Amino acid sequence: MRKIFIAINLLLITGLVSCKKFEAFQTDPNKTTQASPDLLLTSIEIDAFNEVSLSAALASRQMAYTDGVNNNQYYGWQRSGYGDYDNLRQVVQMEIEAQRVNKPVYLALAKFFRAYFIMRLTLTFGDVPYSEALQGNEKNFTPGYDKQEDIFLKVLDQLKEANTALTDDAGTIQGDVVYKGTIKQWKQLINSFSLRVLISLSQKEGNTKLNIKQRFSEIVNNPAQYPLFTGNADNAQLVFYDLQDDRYPFFNSNDLQTAYYMEETFVNMLKGLKDPRLFRMAAKAPIHSGLADDDFNAYGGVMGSATIDENSTRVAAGQASKIDERYYHDPVNEASTAIGYAELQFILAEAVVRGWISGNASDYYKKGIQASHEFYKTAPDAITAYLAQPAVQLQAGQELKAIITQKYIACFVNTGWLPFYEQRRTGFPVFDVSGAGVLNNHQVPKRWMYPESEFDLNRENVTAAISRQYPSGDNINGQMWLLIKE
Amino acid sequence: MVMHKTLLIKRVVTGIIILHALGCCLNTTYAQQNMMAKAGKGNIQLLHPLEAVLLQLENTHKVKFNYNSNLLYGKTVSDAIYRKVTQEELQTALPQLLNPLGLTSELVYGNYYAIHSIAGEQKAEQQVTASGNITDAVTGMVLPGVTITVKGKTKGAVTDANGHFSIPQVAATDILVVNFMGYKPVEITVGGQTTINLALQPDVSGLNEVVVTALGIQKEKKSLGYAVQEVKGESMTQAREPNLVSSLTGRVAGLTIRSSTDLFRDAGISLRGQKPLMVIDGIPDQQADMWKVNPDDVESISVLKGPTASALYGSIGQYGAIMITTKRGKGKDLAVEFNSSTMFQPSFIRIPKVQSTYGDGYKGKYAYVDGSGGGTEGSGWIWGPKLDQPDPNTPSGYWETPQYNSPVDPNTNQRVPLPFISRGKDNVKNFFRTGIISTNNISVTKGSDKGNFRASASHIYQMGVVPNTDLNNSSFSLSGNYNLSDRLNVDARITYNRQYTDNYPEVGYGPGNYLYNLVLWTGADVDIRDLRNYWQPGQEGIQQKHYNQSWYNNPYFQAYELLNGYYKDNTFGSMALNYTFSKDFSAKFRTGVNSYGLTSNVKEPKSYVRYSDKSRGNFYVSSGNYIDIVTDLILRYEHTFSKDFAVHAELGGSNYYRNYRYQSSNTDGLSIPDFYNLSNSTNPVQGTNGLEERRTSSAYGFVDLEYLGAFYLTLTGRTDKISTLPVSNNTFFYPSVSGSILVSELVKLPHWFSYLKARGSWSKVSSGLLDSDNTYTYNYLPAYDRGIKWNGTPSLTYGGTLQNPDLKPRTSASWEAGLEMKWFGNRLGFDATYYRIQDYNNIVNINVSGTSGYTSRRENGNKYLRKGIEFVLTGTPIRNKNFSWDVLMNFSSYHRYLQAIFNNEAVLGKLKVGDRVDRIFASVYEKDPQGNIVYQSNGFPKDDPFTRYIGNDDPDWVYGVENTFRYKNFSLRFLVDGRIGGLIYSTTNQKMWWGGTHPGTVNQFRDDANAGQATYVGQGVVVTGGDIQYDGAGNIVGDSRKFAPNTKAVNYIDYMVNTSNAANTRYNYYSETFLKLREVNLTWQVPEKWVKGTFFRSASVALIGRNLLLFAKLPNVDPDTGEDNLQTPSMRSMGFNVNFKF
Repeated sequence: MRKIFIAINLLLITGLVSCKKFEAFQTDPNKTTQASPDLLLTSIEIDAFNEVSLSAALASRQMAYTDGVNNNQYYGWQRSGYGDYDNLRQVVQMEIEAQRVNKPVYLALAKFFRAYFIMRLTLTFGDVPYSEALQGNEKNFTPGYDKQEDIFLKVLDQLKEANTALTDDAGTIQGDVVYKGTIKQWKQLINSFSLRVLISLSQKEGNTKLNIKQRFSEIVNNPAQYPLFTGNADNAQLVFYDLQDDRYPFFNSNDLQTAYYMEETFVNMLKGLKDPRLFRMAAKAPIHSGLADDDFNAYGGVMGSATIDENSTRVAAGQASKIDERYYHDPVNEASTAIGYAELQFILAEAVVRGWISGNASDYYKKGIQASHEFYKTAPDAITAYLAQPAVQLQAGQELKAIITQKYIACFVNTGWLPFYEQRRTGFPVFDVSGAGVLNNHQVPKRWMYPESEFDLNRENVTAAISRQYPSGDNINGQMWLLIKE
Repeated sequence: MVMHKTLLIKRVVTGIIILHALGCCLNTTYAQQNMMAKAGKGNIQLLHPLEAVLLQLENTHKVKFNYNSNLLYGKTVSDAIYRKVTQEELQTALPQLLNPLGLTSELVYGNYYAIHSIAGEQKAEQQVTASGNITDAVTGMVLPGVTITVKGKTKGAVTDANGHFSIPQVAATDILVVNFMGYKPVEITVGGQTTINLALQPDVSGLNEVVVTALGIQKEKKSLGYAVQEVKGESMTQAREPNLVSSLTGRVAGLTIRSSTDLFRDAGISLRGQKPLMVIDGIPDQQADMWKVNPDDVESISVLKGPTASALYGSIGQYGAIMITTKRGKGKDLAVEFNSSTMFQPSFIRIPKVQSTYGDGYKGKYAYVDGSGGGTEGSGWIWGPKLDQPDPNTPSGYWETPQYNSPVDPNTNQRVPLPFISRGKDNVKNFFRTGIISTNNISVTKGSDKGNFRASASHIYQMGVVPNTDLNNSSFSLSGNYNLSDRLNVDARITYNRQYTDNYPEVGYGPGNYLYNLVLWTGADVDIRDLRNYWQPGQEGIQQKHYNQSWYNNPYFQAYELLNGYYKDNTFGSMALNYTFSKDFSAKFRTGVNSYGLTSNVKEPKSYVRYSDKSRGNFYVSSGNYIDIVTDLILRYEHTFSKDFAVHAELGGSNYYRNYRYQSSNTDGLSIPDFYNLSNSTNPVQGTNGLEERRTSSAYGFVDLEYLGAFYLTLTGRTDKISTLPVSNNTFFYPSVSGSILVSELVKLPHWFSYLKARGSWSKVSSGLLDSDNTYTYNYLPAYDRGIKWNGTPSLTYGGTLQNPDLKPRTSASWEAGLEMKWFGNRLGFDATYYRIQDYNNIVNINVSGTSGYTSRRENGNKYLRKGIEFVLTGTPIRNKNFSWDVLMNFSSYHRYLQAIFNNEAVLGKLKVGDRVDRIFASVYEKDPQGNIVYQSNGFPKDDPFTRYIGNDDPDWVYGVENTFRYKNFSLRFLVDGRIGGLIYSTTNQKMWWGGTHPGTVNQFRDDANAGQATYVGQGVVVTGGDIQYDGAGNIVGDSRKFAPNTKAVNYIDYMVNTSNAANTRYNYYSETFLKLREVNLTWQVPEKWVKGTFFRSASVALIGRNLLLFAKLPNVDPDTGEDNLQTPSMRSMGFNVNFKF
């Protein structure tokens, strides 16, 4: 009997001793609770610079979808989401950690990323929360909406501050999968991006608060203080790798090889310009598979505006080109370009045309085309031949159309929604809405409706923002401030 | 804690005082009743149960009797003998007491006596005719139809209309056994009497029915203040479900089991709307592996329904408990039992019915090029040409087109057209095979005065209906108990269980699902048998052969090459030491362990099609080691102060610790095909691992008070300290009180009103768990998550939930009331329960505007009310010597409501205060004021920009009805159950409309569409002018729309592909209402006389069936699973069971 009691006591005592104290369970042994800011920078860059988008290609009449009525293609879309605020949370967290370890260089980068993500949001919706946003830590869960004008002002200031803060002795940047920590290139990106923001405000030349003309020339005229991209090597781009999670987004995609086809107006545009980039973008149409790869007649498309009935019949007849197979067979394919040298050259060309800066618009324009061809690996002599074509030259009175069209081509399945926004701003190229498939009364929408959850969670502020911006309510045809000339 | 204890004691004391006060008022009633029994008419004998007499002798003489209580059951002592033996010396009293009952005693040692039966001590004696009257002891009324048998002989009699009986030629030593439904059985030794008048005591089942309650404490059911329902183990061992929990379907009111039709998938289980705790022999199994307990080892399962019932388990018992009691050795004799059942699954009660009129293709066209988008076949639709179309111009006489299995003409290098005919009409039959569930169990038990043991081994083998899938489940169990001394008893059990399979099927909608590849996305032009050799010739190991290589997998390729292995070793058991200090005081030390090691792996072959891409071959392997240990030390005090007042109190302390370690690794591409090893990874191997620990320390206690045999009160209290909350809030106390009143013991009710019990309970139970038990242990702590590694550069991300460092435990406050009635003895019984459970301080993720940087915040908030009613109806409409019919019915209804919202907000998402929380909000089409669907200019319906309420998810009623018929040696049991109401979203139906396989798509519009004509006009209106405006909540605030009927014709195929026919199918939500013939069981007990003389003690054979018939409103899918994400077709199981006892 005594033996058993001793045994029980021993059991109880060891049982208690072997248990950890309750305090020991207050940290997660499988996760880190503190991070160095570089670890956040990496994930922010992956989210920011992965701008490969098929939706934008559908909305921009570069591709067409035939497995159903796609709202991007037929302009029947309604709402978009606030996912970019998730990315902004990472930026906030990077700031917190940068302050904790006293590495201000990441604070400068954070300014850029704040500007970058909020631009994506405001271009989508119009007014969105910014100055009061991202204050969940301070228990502000219903931020007010900033006017788009104020957002742009703030973004321009932030970019300027970021450029100023990034000095050679700002510290080393680690975890940088885009520029490997080269501060000069970050400055080039920030300033090139500033120019993109400014050119997107071209309707606002008369706005004295913004002073876009002056801001633009201040950057362009001070290359020492405001360096800009000098070539494709400076592109803000995410290079893909044949590694798990790092592959080209459409690698092995079944959809891309069975339901997406080239859009006819886009194919015809490239054919009209005898643009050899078509051979890199598209595969030959099945009925023309016997023709040579560099024969423009081998390529075709379907109309993005036509009904799927019409399109699927044409696809069945083998008239439509698919996208080039490397987009779904090559795990690396080409890099995703968030903003590149070609785009910068087109921005500068446009600024010359608009008289914001002095210079030779055609030079900028051709440098942009050249850079885009190099990106698509067009042979050098073919580039030369292309640039020599009369149809490619800038013509008086038609400069803007040519510049924006070239920017549009350069953005194929890349650079996110830029081609759509540029069309929205300039009207170039004209998106075909003639077909019977187009919804929305044959109009190209101007924006997206606010997310439904916002009406449940922050209703007062979102409804106030709607009523001050859009007299006819929250719909996709509303003209946001940015598009109203002043 | 100290304060709480004082509080508890105060409450107990107050309770006792109140009880006494109550007792005084009611005492008179009770006394009157006793008097009446005594003042019965004539020479009625007052009978004392033998066991009670022995207990009294133990007290008087300070001795201890050791006996098998079965031996004493039903034996009674006349008042005369009782008086005599209680006044005499023990040595003289015992023979007088025991010998007439066929028993004898033996002094073992000290003051220990053993009582045995006298065997073979029969003396030839004078025989008499015994006769007499049988009456009801309470009402004094005569009882006709009472069976009287002579023990061990074939003689017997039944009382006539006056309650009279007569049996000739009985010996003095003969024992008469009196059995009557609704009364306690009586055995009386003839002892030479010729007139034997007996007054039978009503036996109301429930009065002495014992059930297992929290912590494994056995209690009389009548004393419980909350709802408990028990299911006996034997009802689960014949018509087998592969897992134990599914066997409970339809048997317990308030318990909803949503059995999966898929092989080796857990059933969904909810008790009053929440997932209950599983407890095995008093040891909680928080992992709730429903496969590890073999039904053959289960003695009984009691379902403790409310938080009060399981309050003693603390946090983990917040949602009720399913208490599994395993078998122990019984009796002294060696007993061997063999139970075997084999069931076949030859057919389906519900399978998606697909059309075989049209084949693969799109818009009526089909010509195979490369199966990857090179032609119309690549996109994988089943919207192809009509099959079996005669064509006089082809060699076959049918329309022909190049197909995947066409031979290639070596001259033209083109595929030779083949007839497009419905060769694949029987693909389902040709692919699936007959499933088998085979169960074998053997158990051995033996006991002695000192203790007993039981050993059991069993194996369950299930062969899946999908080729090359199976499941093995082996269990070895050893349990025993032994009196180490007269004060110390040890009880222990250990079970080893292994679940293993080299391949079990993947489920859920997607290319990993067999049904997806075989039924939904294969036209009848493809004959599955042609795909049996599944490699592309010349590309073995590299490329599967299939009619479509972008979207679907060859089902044979999937079955034989994509292998999901699962190997789990469970070891679990417990040890309890029970030490008796004195008659009233005892202590128990108990420790239990649950542990497992699990390895699972997936072999993914090259060319395997995943949802959106093709695999380059991969090997995934993961393993985990789990252990939890719970140790309790419990002190018990039990004292019967008088016949009218008894106390049972326990005080315990407990410590729980859990440790779970796991790791998983996978290749990133395989270099050598078909070689599944991490070393074969093309790119760096990916891997992760983790450790989760948890601890709970608790102190608890309860007091049971019993007064007058009619008032029962239980008070419990428990304090938990739990590691899954911030330290500042991690200790919490929760009490419960429950009681019952046996009205039928206090008040004279009509004689047919046998039993009336009212019960009630209240409890407050808190929990520190964040969500269900299986959520990640440290979810309440802010931390970074691993992000993507970009070309070797690591990254982190920060989650979207804002953590609250001040989280408090969440609490359920509940009360329930119940009424239990029995009429006509036991013939009809009714049990009703109403409960209300308020869940507050819930630990919830409150959605916040994403603009705040977070998508949700974790807070204590929202108040929910769960309420429901449960009815159990038992009846025996017919009962006579050869035939009986028993019915058990249960109905329950449960709903959950939102009572308050965090921060006193007006809405929680789309829900308002007072709403049921199972409201379904779906994306719908815009409607005109009359409810017609609004069509757009392109002829397709227009989306409403707001999601809208379309119905509720939960069923209104869950029910089960079990009938048992017995005729002589045959018994027939059948169980039907089902649910009424509730909506279910049907992925299967939606995909069938979408993909072109739904039989409803066989119509003229489709032929027109194939011919290139747009003829389908959706029924609805178009807007000809004006517009509609909504406020932020989606309410229409302005509507100037003008309408005209929609006349725009579209291509039917386009319409279906875009809408999945949602406009005509209520967005593919269907009613969940169904009725199922769950189980049929025809058993033949081999007659005793046949078994006699063989070495069998008993034998039975049964024909069994499960899942035999289904009546449901939902087409194509069995709604039993509660959701439809394309599960395995619902199978019918039929077979047989044999049981031998040696």
